[in-house]
Amino acid sequence: MNTVVCIKQVPDTETLIKVQGAGIVTEGIKWVMNPYDEFAVEEALRQKEKMKAGNVTIVSLGPDRAIEAVRTGLAMGADTAVHINDAAYYDKADPYATAAALAAAIKGMQYDAIFVGKQAIDDDAAQVPAMLAEMLGIPVVTMVIKFEVAADKSKATVTREIEGGQAVVEVPLPAVFSAQKGLNEPRYASLPGIMKAKKKPVDVKKAADLGVSEGPKTAIKEMSLPPARQAGKVITGDDAAAKAKELARILHEEVKIV
Amino acid sequence: MHGSGAEISREVFWNILGPGFPTEQVLLYVLVVIAFLLFFHGLARSGFFTRMKAVTSAQGPDVERVNNAWDRFMYMVVDVFGHRKILREPYQGVFHFFIFWGFIALAITTAIVFLQADVIWPIWHVWFMQGGFYLGLSLFADVFGLVAIVGILMAMARRYFMKPKWLDEKGEDKVILWFILAILVTGFVVEALRIQATETDPASPMNPYIWFSPVGRTVAFLFSGMSMDALRDTHVVLWWTHVLGALGFIVFIAYSKLLHIVMTPVNIFLRPDTPQPPIKAMPPEMFENAETFGIHKLEEYSWKDLFDSEACMRCGRCVEVCPAFNTDKPLLPRDVIQNIRTYMEKKAKFALDADGNYHILPDEEYTGPALIGDTIEKDTIWACTTCMACVEACPAYILQFPKLIDLRRYLVMMESDFPAEVLDVFKGMENNSNPWSIGAHVRADWAKGLDVPLLSEKGEAEYLFYVGCAGAFDDLNKKVAVALVKIFKAAGLDFAILGTEEGCCGDSAKKIGNEYVYQALAMANIETFKAYNVSKIITMCPHGYTVLKNDYKELGGNFQVFHYTEILDKLIKQGKITLKQPIENLGVITYHDSCYLGRYNKIYDQPRDILKALNSGSLVEMKSHHAKSFCCGAGGGRMWMEEDLGTRINQKRTKEVEASGAKTVCTACPFCYTMLSDGIKELELSEKLQAIDIAQLVAKAAGLDQKTDKAGNENDQEAAN
Repeated sequence: MNTVVCIKQVPDTETLIKVQGAGIVTEGIKWVMNPYDEFAVEEALRQKEKMKAGNVTIVSLGPDRAIEAVRTGLAMGADTAVHINDAAYYDKADPYATAAALAAAIKGMQYDAIFVGKQAIDDDAAQVPAMLAEMLGIPVVTMVIKFEVAADKSKATVTREIEGGQAVVEVPLPAVFSAQKGLNEPRYASLPGIMKAKKKPVDVKKAADLGVSEGPKTAIKEMSLPPARQAGKVITGDDAAAKAKELARILHEEVKIV
Repeated sequence: MHGSGAEISREVFWNILGPGFPTEQVLLYVLVVIAFLLFFHGLARSGFFTRMKAVTSAQGPDVERVNNAWDRFMYMVVDVFGHRKILREPYQGVFHFFIFWGFIALAITTAIVFLQADVIWPIWHVWFMQGGFYLGLSLFADVFGLVAIVGILMAMARRYFMKPKWLDEKGEDKVILWFILAILVTGFVVEALRIQATETDPASPMNPYIWFSPVGRTVAFLFSGMSMDALRDTHVVLWWTHVLGALGFIVFIAYSKLLHIVMTPVNIFLRPDTPQPPIKAMPPEMFENAETFGIHKLEEYSWKDLFDSEACMRCGRCVEVCPAFNTDKPLLPRDVIQNIRTYMEKKAKFALDADGNYHILPDEEYTGPALIGDTIEKDTIWACTTCMACVEACPAYILQFPKLIDLRRYLVMMESDFPAEVLDVFKGMENNSNPWSIGAHVRADWAKGLDVPLLSEKGEAEYLFYVGCAGAFDDLNKKVAVALVKIFKAAGLDFAILGTEEGCCGDSAKKIGNEYVYQALAMANIETFKAYNVSKIITMCPHGYTVLKNDYKELGGNFQVFHYTEILDKLIKQGKITLKQPIENLGVITYHDSCYLGRYNKIYDQPRDILKALNSGSLVEMKSHHAKSFCCGAGGGRMWMEEDLGTRINQKRTKEVEASGAKTVCTACPFCYTMLSDGIKELELSEKLQAIDIAQLVAKAAGLDQKTDKAGNENDQEAAN
């Protein structure tokens, strides 16, 4: 089974984020592969291993630094990669522009399924999987937590997470699948995998090479961090009853929730 | 005839040789030669030469083994004859000492008799075995023979009655004891029969000196009623029994654990002369060139790794002290070594061709049992805390746990096969340079408000205080870091920290088997240290201390590294810190030796000296301490793994604290501090016991306590928020 996995490089969840205008200060940030994309890569690799045939191709839009995430995917076991290395395009790209670039890169490829993380943990837009499917003219199933493919690769039976439960969906292939946590446990790249990844072919393209002309439909005007957590307050009082009274007063008068 | 003429002597071969041609003497020579031939035959039959083929086919790198040969030889001589390591365990040490010296003394005696009777007399007709020398020799042999019997009886008492649970029990074990006992007893009986026949007669010139064979003389009373003929007949039979027994013993050496008589001294000679148990070096360029990492097949071990198992005689000292075994986990260091030994033979069935040549088969052609899984189980590999107790205890200088790290390396780097919870640890180390996976940018937050000099601002300082991940990220251990900087400042020490430029030391990664990540972390630190021209480093954590001091050298990082206890001890002794304030509620105190401080780096005294200098609370020792200290359970990356098998190591150690009668257990390692604090909570002993780090006690005694310090108060509040 041939699969394509779209990945994005995002800041590590623990890294320090500083907002600057409509963006963030990128200096000093530790970049990693979007955690949901790791599930996507893992699933593609597992399907390939199960079928004992096929290729896994990584596609990523991002500046120079994104090659690290691409190599991580290759180290996990993907075979080839396309890196749309176009800082100017990437800097302005919204989910629409991102999907357009990815679709343009994928269009000529032979594939049975496209795996994508359900959302990137930086902008949390969660739009690319659906847009990508639309642009490629194929179905999409989101929030996938279990994936099984028919032996003839004509269709897939997938379980997706829905509010308070699960739904089993059947879909003809090719199709786009967005990976939710629980789909699998992503592997830790082996050392030979890391070393081999350095030598695996990565096709580097500009947006213009792909013939992508349409720009973003939206633009970020401003960004802000959530307000800093306030210091806790210790309620004092002579006894439990007095403390309870004071607590009730604060909840009623200051926090205004009772 | 032998010994004729000398009055104060004895006739060698009395009652054995008749007049004329010495048939029996020649027969004895023949038998001795046969015994030695059978010994070598036995080596072949018992698989020794087959195993040696595996040993010589081993490919793995090793450290120097034969450099400074004279020093090595002398070390071996002292170790073998002085029982340096064996005597560390008093009971089994003493009985081995008795058997050993009995054996040596009787061997010397036999050699002298041989020289006299078979070399010097036939050639020069000189009889030196007479007079005072003979009497001395007689007494010497008798006393040491008795000593050997006492040793054997003690060993039997252990095997039959004490039966420690770590003691291996194979068919040969009891047989060997009975065998040796039989040889010794028949020796004395033969002597007694001869004495009864030749020395009890008051007319005998030897009669006045009969008690120079005290044991033989005493036993002779048993035969006082026997006729001369009966004495002679019994003597002949038992003499040959004794001789055949002794020669049989030589043959039996080849077939049994007795081979340690030969192999263990060899292994002592070959011992690594590195300050710590060597873990195989992986030069950085190896990552680019090698195709496989770590060890998953026998021949990837070094020849010495495999040879180690020849020197193992299953004594079980490594098992006795192993924290994993003592908490019912499936790890017995002895069995790891023994399994490698039997595996060498199993594997030879596949590796040896018809001509006896050893072939290292590629994985896809090999169909026999595997090293990992079939020979050493994964649960065994992951149970090890790398506490080094096994290596420290082993009288044969075998390296047990480093062999497991080789297997971990394969599992981690080749197979990505490790306990699931370790994944986040690796990612944390890779992305944020700490195993807690906390953002690297908060590494220096613990120092906020304390006015701790940063190397980037100060430019240079005499000492770099390398805080380490625990001191920087773990709430409990941040208090220790805070205490230390207060002490350093009060003592006027010229120091600075790296702040957010500091990185993880990599010890956990290394011991879990992820040498690749370890080296990346180590190289980053070395680069930073060099950029600031750092030469002296103080570490808070013994794990960082170990790798910075010893392992970074392999990667080109040569620094003078101190653990904080070394520095505090010095500052106190120099009077730069005065410990005047009594510490309340300390009670009786005990010190828990960190494995990486004690066994790894031999720092035992400084922490204790500091505690004594506190003048608060009396210091007691726990059941196991110093080199025999029991691990807290967190070493070897176990800090980050679930402890699903058996009972918890930290709780066992906490119970030892409780049993010592101490109220306060002092630590000098963040892992130990965490594990013992948790142990106290888990066992609900908080009302009786407390754990605290030595640095905190020093800060308190020096009046630098957080409660009396404004900055410290602010820091405390932040932590609470």
